[in-house]
Amino acid sequence: MKHLTEDEFTELYYSEGGSAANAHLKACRECSRRYDEFTRSLEQIQLATVPLRGADYGERVWETLRPQLIPYEKKRTGWLGWAGWRGRASWKTAAIAVGCAMVLAAAVLGGRYWERSTKKVSIAQSPQATQRVVLVVLSDHLDRTERLLVQVEHSESPDPTENAQLQSEAQELLASNRLYRVTASNTGDAALAGALDRLEGVLAEIANNPNLTAGDLKRVRNDMNTKGILFEIRILHARSQDQGTKGATI
Amino acid sequence: MQGNDHSIVRAVLAGDKEAYGALVRAHSATVFRVAFRITGNEADAEEIVQEAFLRGYQRLESYEQRSAFGTWIYRIAVNCALNRVSKPGIEAEYRHGEDTDPADKSVQVATPDADPERVLLSREISAVQETAMQRLTPTEKCAFVLRHIEDRSMSEIAEVLEIAPNAAKQAVFRAVQKLRRELAPLRGNA
Repeated sequence: MKHLTEDEFTELYYSEGGSAANAHLKACRECSRRYDEFTRSLEQIQLATVPLRGADYGERVWETLRPQLIPYEKKRTGWLGWAGWRGRASWKTAAIAVGCAMVLAAAVLGGRYWERSTKKVSIAQSPQATQRVVLVVLSDHLDRTERLLVQVEHSESPDPTENAQLQSEAQELLASNRLYRVTASNTGDAALAGALDRLEGVLAEIANNPNLTAGDLKRVRNDMNTKGILFEIRILHARSQDQGTKGATI
Repeated sequence: MQGNDHSIVRAVLAGDKEAYGALVRAHSATVFRVAFRITGNEADAEEIVQEAFLRGYQRLESYEQRSAFGTWIYRIAVNCALNRVSKPGIEAEYRHGEDTDPADKSVQVATPDADPERVLLSREISAVQETAMQRLTPTEKCAFVLRHIEDRSMSEIAEVLEIAPNAAKQAVFRAVQKLRRELAPLRGNA
């Protein structure tokens, strides 16, 4: 019989556990005893009591905030709004508006002409070209994350500048990683979505850590199995490069 | 309340700045509560309340009226608090299971009697809990506070912290593991 892990206890404690874990807990005396001990230890954790705010607290906040706020401009709609705008607008503004309208019209007409002349080519190239672009961009992202994880794996440096660079890279990658993860998830690529999901945890830890030190990086390495994630990323990177090469020869 | 909040937002966007006061009055206490729980510091929490409502006002045009204003401003406040605890050099001052007196920084332990032995034990527990919380990363700390104290679901935590649901769950798991490990010696005393 496989006993429940601490993570499963955590899920159960916060009412997010599955029915299988619940059933096991009822059947297994050993897990039941460990879960009781687990529950007691979590109940022991109590954060500071929130200091009381008076009934007028909201009012005080508002009084401090009020002078800093600039009122939104009233939105004008309909004919009266147009008339009001027209009344205030100078000739210069009107000339700029007419100029913009002409540029817009030229862009639309030019675009239509260009679309007609290139339509056949773009239809023929579209799916593969798009896929290639996606693979190149993804490959670049995986390449960058691979380099970052290698740095994390070998970082023993007490130099705060080096760690700050690592952190700034993690912050950049975090935003793009989120987009790739969502896309992979939507397209049903479970392996990629899973790896990017685990990677996101590591990136978030590094990106959000104040005063990132070598000790913090060591903790991230130990707690989050960065070596395993690096291995996954290398495989995915190789896969995306392979697909990119195949796509280019088609 | 939600419908009322929405009509207030429309009024503010139409130029009625004063209407925003009603939203500030209604949601200040909740925002202060979560800010204090994350930072553990009264002065920081006060500043976060101001910052959250100011940011909220500036971004009011992007507020989508599908969610309640309270939920929206709560998310902004959590992000402000996370930024605050993530700033280098700013250490959150956690005081667990006790009130602090800002005037003299003395500790008022929440025990009904003044038994010196219990006072001492209570202080020891508080100190260990404080150290344990400080050893968590900002994301872990935030995720743990939101789950354990604020009773937010994993998906809500993920949304608020703008991370994947699984990353939020893992952050809570790690926080629980670390805290239990750090607090293990206390369990012998209990």
